[in-house]
Amino acid sequence: MGLLLLLLLFLVFISSPAQLPEEDLTNFPDKMKSFISYPSDCEFPIENLPYGVFSTDANPTPRIGVAIGDQVLDLTVVKHLFNGPLLGDRQAVFDQPTLNDFMALGHLAWAEARAVLQRILSVDDQTLQGDASLQDRAFVPLSSVKMHLPANIGDYTDFYSSIHHATNVGIMFRGKENALMPNWKHLPVGYHGRASSIVISGTPVRRPHGQTAPVEGQPPVFGPCRLLDFELEVGFFVGPGNELGQPIPAEKAHEHIFGFVLVNDWSARDIQKWEYVPLGPFLAKNFATTISPWVVTTLALSQFTVPNFPQDPEPLSYLKHSDPFNFDINLEVDIKPPDAALPSTIVRSNYKYLYWTAKQQLAHHTVTGCNLRPGDMLASGTISGEEPDSFGSMLELSWKGTKQVQLIGGSTRKFIQDGDEVILRGFCQGDGFKIGFGSCAGKVLPALPGV
Amino acid sequence: MKSFISYRSDCEFPIENLPYGVFSTDTNPTPRIGVAIGDQVLDLTVVKHLFNGPLLSDRQAVFDQPTLNDFMALGHLAWAEARAVLQRILSADDQTLQGDASLQDRAFVPLSSVKMHLPSNIGDYTDFYSSIHHATNVGIMFRGKENALMPNWQHLPVGYHGRASSIVISGTPVRRPLGQTVPVEGQPPVFGPCRLLDFELEVGFFVGPGNELGQPIPAEKAHEHIFGFVLVNDWSARDIQKWEYVPLGPFLAKNFATTISPWVVTTLALSQFTVPNFPQDPEPLSYLKHSDPFNFDIKLEVDIKPPDAALPSTIVRSNYKYLYWTAKQQLAHHTVTGCNLRPGDMLASGTISGEEPDSFGSMLELSWKGTKQVQLIGGSTRKFIQDGDEVILRGFCQGDGFKIGFGSCAGKVLPALPGV
Repeated sequence: MGLLLLLLLFLVFISSPAQLPEEDLTNFPDKMKSFISYPSDCEFPIENLPYGVFSTDANPTPRIGVAIGDQVLDLTVVKHLFNGPLLGDRQAVFDQPTLNDFMALGHLAWAEARAVLQRILSVDDQTLQGDASLQDRAFVPLSSVKMHLPANIGDYTDFYSSIHHATNVGIMFRGKENALMPNWKHLPVGYHGRASSIVISGTPVRRPHGQTAPVEGQPPVFGPCRLLDFELEVGFFVGPGNELGQPIPAEKAHEHIFGFVLVNDWSARDIQKWEYVPLGPFLAKNFATTISPWVVTTLALSQFTVPNFPQDPEPLSYLKHSDPFNFDINLEVDIKPPDAALPSTIVRSNYKYLYWTAKQQLAHHTVTGCNLRPGDMLASGTISGEEPDSFGSMLELSWKGTKQVQLIGGSTRKFIQDGDEVILRGFCQGDGFKIGFGSCAGKVLPALPGV
Repeated sequence: MKSFISYRSDCEFPIENLPYGVFSTDTNPTPRIGVAIGDQVLDLTVVKHLFNGPLLSDRQAVFDQPTLNDFMALGHLAWAEARAVLQRILSADDQTLQGDASLQDRAFVPLSSVKMHLPSNIGDYTDFYSSIHHATNVGIMFRGKENALMPNWQHLPVGYHGRASSIVISGTPVRRPLGQTVPVEGQPPVFGPCRLLDFELEVGFFVGPGNELGQPIPAEKAHEHIFGFVLVNDWSARDIQKWEYVPLGPFLAKNFATTISPWVVTTLALSQFTVPNFPQDPEPLSYLKHSDPFNFDIKLEVDIKPPDAALPSTIVRSNYKYLYWTAKQQLAHHTVTGCNLRPGDMLASGTISGEEPDSFGSMLELSWKGTKQVQLIGGSTRKFIQDGDEVILRGFCQGDGFKIGFGSCAGKVLPALPGV
């Protein structure tokens, strides 16, 4: 009797859903497939499922969505489907105009939500697939949405965690012998950034004015920044926070890391050079920081985990964690001049080049008792590899303005010019699919006249 | 001016002050906006209907908020209108409140009974470094007399972004932080409790209306964006700071706690204590110039009270007017690259030291990098702050027969957590 039941169940299983696309026959049995169709190089397959905050012309209220294929799944419309033990009575988090409350729920709730999304978007499930009216309300075309900042960012911290970048900068300014500061390999150097000027991809960025000292020993002058730069970074959002005075141990830090975005830490190099001693970069950074709109979860990245960057010397024990928390994320930067037909890819780097992990950054940040809060953003610092074409800033690519960077069509750059658009991209290559971050773009406007 | 609320001539909260704060009580634990007067707090939720001038009458809802951000955002003309209402209804010559026993009963709570909260939602916190004496002292200690001030110091108000989340209200205990330090030069770093815990005597201001990203605020108009001032203790872990701060500035050494006083003294209240701006040489670039004085005679004091002491010892007597850069210059500089300030942001001055040793605003300077003992009442000494010490900042302006004060900015140091 039991065997008959099993046979019956097996027959039911292999005969549903009603339609099996041909490709499915060649897929591995456990490969995920969505009923939303998309090509294999789509950034938002069912293996990704990043969260963002969007609005539409028809409904301008910012709300939470998940990108899938060329669609956005509006979570306000399907929140009733999140009825597991952790989310069942907290569905209101999906009605918020930011992700902070969802981030605050913690990693078990995020996993529960992901499981729901994977199920209802799966080709094997009828909850959404079989309900035309619900689908109609739940999906909007990705091309039609306006994106907003994914979280209310209470504090923004920027680290300096690429050994190649820090070494390059050190060589340029202090020579090879003193390239890395004595503290660099002992702690993840970082500084507080400006939260108010974090903007979403697509926001124009105005060339700043400021003080610079163009001629050493001469008094400073005031005018438009002449050495405008980008910095290729990856940032993460904090989930649950910690109480003031209660550090987060490195081993558990991943429970506080919700997901990642691309970050362009626009920098005014000439303003930076004059202002930064002794208290660090300030106005050189706070005129704008651009982020990509779709937060790729730690869960989605987990299958792209690679070993941590080897550290020497071994860090102090409060910075140690036993697990790998490094990811193979291909990163690219394009520049598109105003008159160019095509953008030029000038950087090919990778997240895995980072020396310090996100868990180490987070643990270090709280070790003095500093309180992180849901929605805080911690960025990696410029991510450069060993090879010149992997350097994550014009400062390094042009080697302090001594070399020209070649663009398609013959034009060259040492730093960013007015009208240039800078576009950061990131993606992880899976087996027959890829997951992406969307784009982190900004076009440079000329400095305001007469400031 | 005379209020129908009676208080002594040395009371911090006379009718000439009227600072705003956010408070709650045991009977009503909802944080709400109040004004300190005498030994009372005027609950603005109870009297908001009295703000019926042209700018406030259809915006009375700002007084129902749990923070001052919305009121700050209304701008200087609205703040002036509110002040005029307060001065009128608290005046001995007015009957609106004075003659209404039932309204008074609901509107006033004893100052001694309230719990204070952060006055605003602080979106961003910036700390400056604007005392020439402090910067010079620190420079001499670390680089020698010839290289004391960095080349940029007299050209721009040096500053850095601080941590907003760890700003706490006066009275919050502060736990000695753990971190990396290098006790022996050239040796690897060690991990453990900070050994050189310090305070920094500062004054911060809150931003009123903000500016759009990309649109700087001109120095001349910057006062329209400055709501009011509080005392700030920028607690510092000197040993952690020394090891971490090159090249990107102080970070963990600062972000474990920053204490502020709870009553925001308005620019309007301070205006009668205006003094000339500190002389600047060289003249700053024109974007930093403003024609008006925006400096104030605010006496500042710091007490230390060890756990076993009967009395606190006053170890610092300084003054806001020693600052080289004005708040207007700090604000204009902060926005000149297009950075957007928002209502409720806090900008602090940096440690305020004068020329005299007893006016140095930190233990680092008072003990001259730990080479001198600071004497306390009863014979004990300090080089840096010890567990159990309470550090209390105070500030006041002396008027003719009255004074206006900031309340207190206090914090008691708890021992570092064991076993982290």
